[in-house]
Amino acid sequence: MARAPLSPLDFRPAERGLQVDPILRPSLSYWEDTWRRLRGNRRATLALVVVIALLTASAVGPVVWTVDPSAQDLDQVSKLPWADRRARIVDGAGAADPSLPVARATGGSDPTGMDLRIVGEATTKSVVLEWNLSDLASGYRVYRHIDAIAGGEPLGLPLAEVPIAGPGRFIDRLNLQPHRYYYAVAALDAAGEEQAASTIIPADVVRVLSEQEAIARGFAASKIFPGAEVELPFHPLGTDALGRDMLARLIHGSRVSLFIGIAAPWFYVMIGVGLGSLAGLRGGAVDQLIMRFTDFVVALPFLLFMILFKIGFGIGPGESGILPMLVALVLLSWPGTTRLVRGQVLQIREEGYLEASRLLGAPTRHLLLHHLVPNVMGVVLVTLTFAIPSAIFTEAFLSFIGMGVVPPTPSWGSMCNDGTKTMLMHPHELVLPATLISLTVLAFNVLGDGLRDALDARLRSRE
Amino acid sequence: MNALLSIENLSVEFDTHGGVVHAVRDVSLAAYPGETVAVVGESGCGKTVTFQSVMGLIPMPPGRITAGEVTWRGDRMHLGRSAGRDLRGTEIGMIFQDPMSSLNPTMRIGDQIAEPLQVHRGKSRRQALSQAVSLLDQARIHAPERCAKQYPFELSGGMLQRAMIAMAIACEPAMLIADEPTTALDVTIQSDILDLLADLQQRKGMTIVLVTHDLGVVARVADRVAVMYAGQIVESGTVDDVFYRPAHPYTVGLKAALPARSIDPGRDLEPIAGTPPDLFAPPAGCGYFMRCPRAMRVCEGHPPDLVSLEAGHVSRCWLHHDYAADVSLDQA
Amino acid sequence: MKRLLQGVVTIWFIATSTFVAMHNVPGNPLLDEKAVSPEIRRNLEARYGLDRPVFPDQYLTYMRNILRGDFGISFTQRNRRVNDILREHFPVSAILGILAIVFAGFGGILFGSLTAVYRNRLPDVVIMVLVVVGISVPGFVFAALAQLGIVGLNEVLGWTVLPVAGWGTLRHLIIPSLVLGLGTMAFLTRLMRSSMLDVLGADYIRTARSKGLPPTRIFFRHQLANASLPVLTVLGPAIAAITTGGFVVELIFAIPGLGRYFVEAVQQLDYTVIMGTTVFYGTFLVVMVLVVDLAYALVDPRVRLE
Repeated sequence: MARAPLSPLDFRPAERGLQVDPILRPSLSYWEDTWRRLRGNRRATLALVVVIALLTASAVGPVVWTVDPSAQDLDQVSKLPWADRRARIVDGAGAADPSLPVARATGGSDPTGMDLRIVGEATTKSVVLEWNLSDLASGYRVYRHIDAIAGGEPLGLPLAEVPIAGPGRFIDRLNLQPHRYYYAVAALDAAGEEQAASTIIPADVVRVLSEQEAIARGFAASKIFPGAEVELPFHPLGTDALGRDMLARLIHGSRVSLFIGIAAPWFYVMIGVGLGSLAGLRGGAVDQLIMRFTDFVVALPFLLFMILFKIGFGIGPGESGILPMLVALVLLSWPGTTRLVRGQVLQIREEGYLEASRLLGAPTRHLLLHHLVPNVMGVVLVTLTFAIPSAIFTEAFLSFIGMGVVPPTPSWGSMCNDGTKTMLMHPHELVLPATLISLTVLAFNVLGDGLRDALDARLRSRE
Repeated sequence: MNALLSIENLSVEFDTHGGVVHAVRDVSLAAYPGETVAVVGESGCGKTVTFQSVMGLIPMPPGRITAGEVTWRGDRMHLGRSAGRDLRGTEIGMIFQDPMSSLNPTMRIGDQIAEPLQVHRGKSRRQALSQAVSLLDQARIHAPERCAKQYPFELSGGMLQRAMIAMAIACEPAMLIADEPTTALDVTIQSDILDLLADLQQRKGMTIVLVTHDLGVVARVADRVAVMYAGQIVESGTVDDVFYRPAHPYTVGLKAALPARSIDPGRDLEPIAGTPPDLFAPPAGCGYFMRCPRAMRVCEGHPPDLVSLEAGHVSRCWLHHDYAADVSLDQA
Repeated sequence: MKRLLQGVVTIWFIATSTFVAMHNVPGNPLLDEKAVSPEIRRNLEARYGLDRPVFPDQYLTYMRNILRGDFGISFTQRNRRVNDILREHFPVSAILGILAIVFAGFGGILFGSLTAVYRNRLPDVVIMVLVVVGISVPGFVFAALAQLGIVGLNEVLGWTVLPVAGWGTLRHLIIPSLVLGLGTMAFLTRLMRSSMLDVLGADYIRTARSKGLPPTRIFFRHQLANASLPVLTVLGPAIAAITTGGFVVELIFAIPGLGRYFVEAVQQLDYTVIMGTTVFYGTFLVVMVLVVDLAYALVDPRVRLE
């Protein structure tokens, strides 16, 4: 760096302005500052948006989507939303018309030579199978499979044994769904043993409704005549194994899950704040008593007692079982907050600024309202935010093991429980409620983290 | 005589959220065998960072040595994350400010002292432990056997600092770096610890580097002193030079801020007004400009160089320039 | 000693409230069985002591039996004693639980240390995202998804790599214990991370480095040893979480453990089995918490002295 040559002038005393520390940041109130920090945290903001969206959805949902969560649509069981919803109206009995064309097994090989065929149209009312009898067989066994049958694999659901005496004919009326089924007929030998070779035929079952059924489902009479095509109700998120609308159940389930998840922590945190500040402020025997009791309740195994409570309460007919769960949660969960609040109160009591305020002659009410409450509130808010996901977890766990809300009241946990039974065939029945539980808990956890960081940062910067 | 440890033009920076902190700026320093060198300065002046970076004890990143060369017994040292690894514990021992937190809370004192012996001297655990007891004894701990079996939380601060010293000298190092060894201790214990250090130095011929903010401690034990301010050495020389013939306004200010018993009982302590400069953006000129009672126009924009006044006495100030008015600093 | 007394009182309270809860249940399992003739019912009532007054007779009998370690006979499975059920099915749950806790503990310490050492770098970010997911997804969802995953895997590979459900071989154990330990592991990872970060910046680590110790020795003797202590303190609650989590995992993976039995008994209102298992579980958890506290005192010298 090239320096300008120095001159004696440079060595005269310097004139300096007064040194002023420019600490002129705007003064923010406690909550304004916390809010600003929270908003600055992108993850926490996103979580807050998710939480608000979930709460809004569960509040407004039943008004927007008015489908009854308990109503069963037995024409559409375990269906995905994009499944074919068409149904054709057929006359009264819905029996197959023998004059209709006959479908034969395609693809050539018919090792048994029994010429298995489907007579008429395969509908959800009935599928009529016919085949030629053989002299060698002592009878036939009919199978139905929902997948294509490869060589050597099981043939599927055994439907019936057809004796040799009658005609080679079988009518399947067993819980047919609009689907492609694979029927197999195996001949039995004299000893009743199945012969190795069997004939397989696919049947594309068409959904049909009889006129009476269509009327019962509320279709306009003008549209109902044999051969007419109607469209069944739409389920935006599909249906469960009992044909109930998933969206409606998720919305109503959210009300149960979120209600327990928010109401229970709210109550027990309030109890905790009350008892904790009582213990912290009064001290002495009151403090001793409350803290001993707290120790005792903390030592109890939580979920075991939740289950015991549920059993002990008993649930009468027509009750949902929400209230007992709420009470049990509150009764078992208050000690954590109590301890925390007591600790906070004791700590704040020792702080210099409280002493200073007291010496300045502030009345007790002022001390409580302006010093104690704001400082405890932050911690309480964080506790509350973290208590919500854990209460939702508990509800889900209990409902999952069948100890939560009573069917048919939906809750996310009980929906998961139902969903696991059919998850291999219809995973959406598990995935949807499970995703919602996880999303909710995740959002509250992230929000709690953000809130704690915001309050922590505030605490740190104050020092 | 050749220097044991010689630091030349060392600069250290830290990356932080607020930007880059220039913690140490162009520091040169040497320590000769058997002497006690004191490095003095207020908090944050870079005195601790200087030695910790040489010993590889600062976290890297965010810390980074940007310039400089360090030699040990004439050999160039590697400077980096593992700087001084083969010297630590064997050639150079270190003790720190807070003995309470500087000892592992879950290990017995004896085990912690025995550790370097096991690692560097290949001793068995039993041999090392018995030597640990004798080291504790050398550190003037009364019941060394009992102490060796205790955990740090069971001992007082003074005892722990003795244990730290015992640990630092376990492998008979040629140099002991004592970083604020007495700051966290009571005044009476401070003096015991200083006596102990002086005594050990005599017996073992160690070089001691004493990092402190306490001029009183410096006056008592040091042979040579370096005064640091805002990451730079502003003055260095023998104790007599620096105390009786201070050549830098900052040193003068430090002395004025020192409580003196004998000289003038009625004198008020004079604090140095203002705060040290922001090391995120070191000033273009002299770091002391804003606080200096003798500040001149040149000081604001031109960094002063170190000027040699007498043999071994240097000062970084424009007042030594020929153009500057010749006023004795003590009267300033 | 005080802790021991407290434990005893807790167990007594668990036993009593179990008793009260059971006798509060609407609906008597004996009355529900319509096929039972009056004589048989009288016989059964006498056998279970249901014909005597609830308090004090039934209560005292119940407490006396518990003290003797006799939990009676199952209501729904007439020929099985509750003790037999406990003896037969608890070991299954215990094996699963121990594996899960070992997995959670090691995983938590390992991943927690990793995240702390690689703070704010890729491994940290990835693991911490997984941790938040692990904390937020209920155990039964993991279990169900894991099962789906196994089915899919087996299908893709064309042979049974891992059994979908059941019990018997080591391969049956792997996935259920992983799933069971997952939530706890996520929790421990988070705890370990913050405690490791505290330790990494601690003065005594600087001291250890100043002694010239090799990095591996510093890591294991000084950092890991101190950072793992908080993990030990939450081991009690972790055991409780894994025990109750076992209910679900055993249910989903059809593992014949005590947890599944307990849930089934609760659903069938099998009085004696519920009472027996509740008291057993309660005692087990209280004892475990005590054991963990004792173990902690052994490891941390600072606690020992108090």
